[in-house]
Amino acid sequence: MTAEAPAIERADSTDETIRLLRELRRTHARKQAADLAFWLYLAAFAIFSYGGWLVAAIVRALRRPPPPIADTPMLLRAAPGGLAALALLVLVVLLWDAGWRGPVVIAQPTADWLLDTPIRRDRLLRPRYRASVLKLILAGAATGLVPAALLLAAGLGGSGLGDSLRLAGVAMLNTGLLAGFGAGVAAWAEAHSYSRLRLATPLGLLAAIALAGLAALTAALGLPAAIGTVLLWSGPWGWAAQAPVALAGGSATLWPAATLLLGLAAAAAITLGDRAAADVPAAVLRARAHTLGHMSAAVFNMDVRRVTTAYRSATGTYGRARLRIRPPLSRQLVLVWRDLTALLRAPSRLAWSALLALASVALGALAVRAPHADLLPLAGALILGYLAAAGLCEGARLDGDDPRRSAQLPFRYDTLAQLHAIVPCLALAVLAGGPAAVLTIITGHARLLILVALTIAVLVGGALVNSFRGQLEGEMFEGFDTPLGNSSGVTITLWYVTGPLLAVGPMIILWYKAINAGPASLAIPETVLSAALAAWLFHITAGRARRLKTG
Amino acid sequence: MTRTANQTGNRYPLLALTGVSRSYGPLQALKPVDLMVLPGQCIALLGVNGSGKSTLLRIAAGRDTPTAGRVSYRGQPLREDALIARAEIAVAGEASSTYPDLTVREHLMLVAVAHGGGAQAPGLVDRTLAECRLSDHGNALPGSLSSGQRQALQLAAVLVRPRRVLILDEPEQRLDPGARKWLAGLLVREKAAGAAVLLATHHVELAEAVADEAVVLLDGEVIGRGTPDQALSRVQ
Repeated sequence: MTAEAPAIERADSTDETIRLLRELRRTHARKQAADLAFWLYLAAFAIFSYGGWLVAAIVRALRRPPPPIADTPMLLRAAPGGLAALALLVLVVLLWDAGWRGPVVIAQPTADWLLDTPIRRDRLLRPRYRASVLKLILAGAATGLVPAALLLAAGLGGSGLGDSLRLAGVAMLNTGLLAGFGAGVAAWAEAHSYSRLRLATPLGLLAAIALAGLAALTAALGLPAAIGTVLLWSGPWGWAAQAPVALAGGSATLWPAATLLLGLAAAAAITLGDRAAADVPAAVLRARAHTLGHMSAAVFNMDVRRVTTAYRSATGTYGRARLRIRPPLSRQLVLVWRDLTALLRAPSRLAWSALLALASVALGALAVRAPHADLLPLAGALILGYLAAAGLCEGARLDGDDPRRSAQLPFRYDTLAQLHAIVPCLALAVLAGGPAAVLTIITGHARLLILVALTIAVLVGGALVNSFRGQLEGEMFEGFDTPLGNSSGVTITLWYVTGPLLAVGPMIILWYKAINAGPASLAIPETVLSAALAAWLFHITAGRARRLKTG
Repeated sequence: MTRTANQTGNRYPLLALTGVSRSYGPLQALKPVDLMVLPGQCIALLGVNGSGKSTLLRIAAGRDTPTAGRVSYRGQPLREDALIARAEIAVAGEASSTYPDLTVREHLMLVAVAHGGGAQAPGLVDRTLAECRLSDHGNALPGSLSSGQRQALQLAAVLVRPRRVLILDEPEQRLDPGARKWLAGLLVREKAAGAAVLLATHHVELAEAVADEAVVLLDGEVIGRGTPDQALSRVQ
């Protein structure tokens, strides 16, 4: 045999390459810094111009924290579990983020032009990781204001400005450290066990829900304080909760040790992540850079649909279940069969809709308590109900995205648009009607069941109106100038919310008036008006479909 | 298929794929394939869209992991992240984004410098721009290029760097007939310089002009192989 082809000899040019890239992109970096400064200025200006009252209220609350209320002791009992659940939620968000984006992320052109060159990956990736960690720590620290504000509002903020600031400070410090810990773990997971990360997110979410449930039980039933102690030492989420609990007057005497432990854990995780950052595989980096590239383009064009499509492509959440339903014998049922198959093959979408429907029914039950309706729960119930309906209309959205997709089906396009209501209506009848029926049996009040029954078609109608809205047109970005600014923002917002606005808005008014009219007011006018509203929404859907078809 | 030393013409293979297959869930995109690419040899993958050409190329470049089988480079398992793969395997053809604020010349400078071009990088970039007929567009932003010129930029990015293996996915796409002739000449020169070329193409004339061996794929399965003439006649 002849000699093997000699390996290419080369000097390490990593520093030279990175210096060149930095030099070439200096103008771009300056422009980015100027843009950031402008947006920060704009945000500060908006806060002080339009939110001056809010700033004043916050300063007032910090100087004179609200005094304890009747429920304060109960809330203090719930604090260990509740705050640990919030902290765990921060970690879950970071793990979810690491599942498709992660702290080690590079721009798409860098992935395409530099990843397959022999420069040292650590010099390329570690600065990105460190910048991400810094941003996440700052964001985490800002998140710490949430538990601090909750404790202050519950009358657990102490007696003066010093107490309030100390509480806010330790809460921010601890969530900042927790975010640092999460960022390090996420980078490590990105480099080593990427696939397991997807499992960690739902498990973490379930654990957070369990902690929140335990907190509620501790508060309501006065469970032993030892449970709180166990939760506070159960992991970094518990360590992060200890200082706020202690400063709020709860039992966490060893909180300095817990904070120190959290700091050490964060430092160790950040260091581990720093080492792992250089080992994130090129395939992962490239895929994530491309996803972010697509997402940025979609966000720039304000195309929410493309954003979610890019996210789903990245996370592989498209139709994992391979369920088969026997095709119908009648061709009239083919659309129902297709919608049903699509729904059953995306169980996560169905599960989200079920969860939203359940929350909607719970709020609805709260809203229709005789003798007076509460506006906020009623609005919340209808909005959540709309979101549940929208989740069930994926088949309609696909046909709305591309009219050619259904060209072979034996329906006119406008009729097809309306027929897409069948499966979502039936599914929502089960998902929301079931729990409502159970509540009706338990309470003996049929009003909630009537509300659900009459609302389903309206909400699905609203979702269909949105499904057949077509593409966002370039002209909408131009708008026209008014004394209050350019109209494009309002136009684009209206383009997105026409469906929910037309469905949810009238239903809130209708039901708020009906419920407040007293129990004697029965549902005949509401039935007629709801049916008329649903028919009108289906009519609009058909009109939109016709416009889409004719281009 | 296993080749003996004699069959390889007394040359060590650079890239060797043994029993490589790829499935996506229930879909088998590539049925077991053996492939061996020698220095100075060009193998052309032919087949209709969806036949598995790009899947095979991605696996050969280390950018996808086969469901079964082995891929080795210089006798070692191939990993895309390995330094030797990055230094010696040049891949062109996947949709490539560009820095919106960097010119064509600056993009190529970046690649040349990253591959250790050093002081020779500017001259190398100028020569590559001339070779790829992009001299007049060196100071243009990639966004202003035509689709054919963007394709030429992708080819320039692999020519501006040292390489032992060239992996090209439909490089003739969007090129005019004159540019396709230039491409054929370029690949012949690459072979003469000792580079191994693995090429997926729809253009039979290009395969006939440059390939020593053609592999015809259909539905992920090899249905013919040999010289381009032999492979195509078997399929027909």
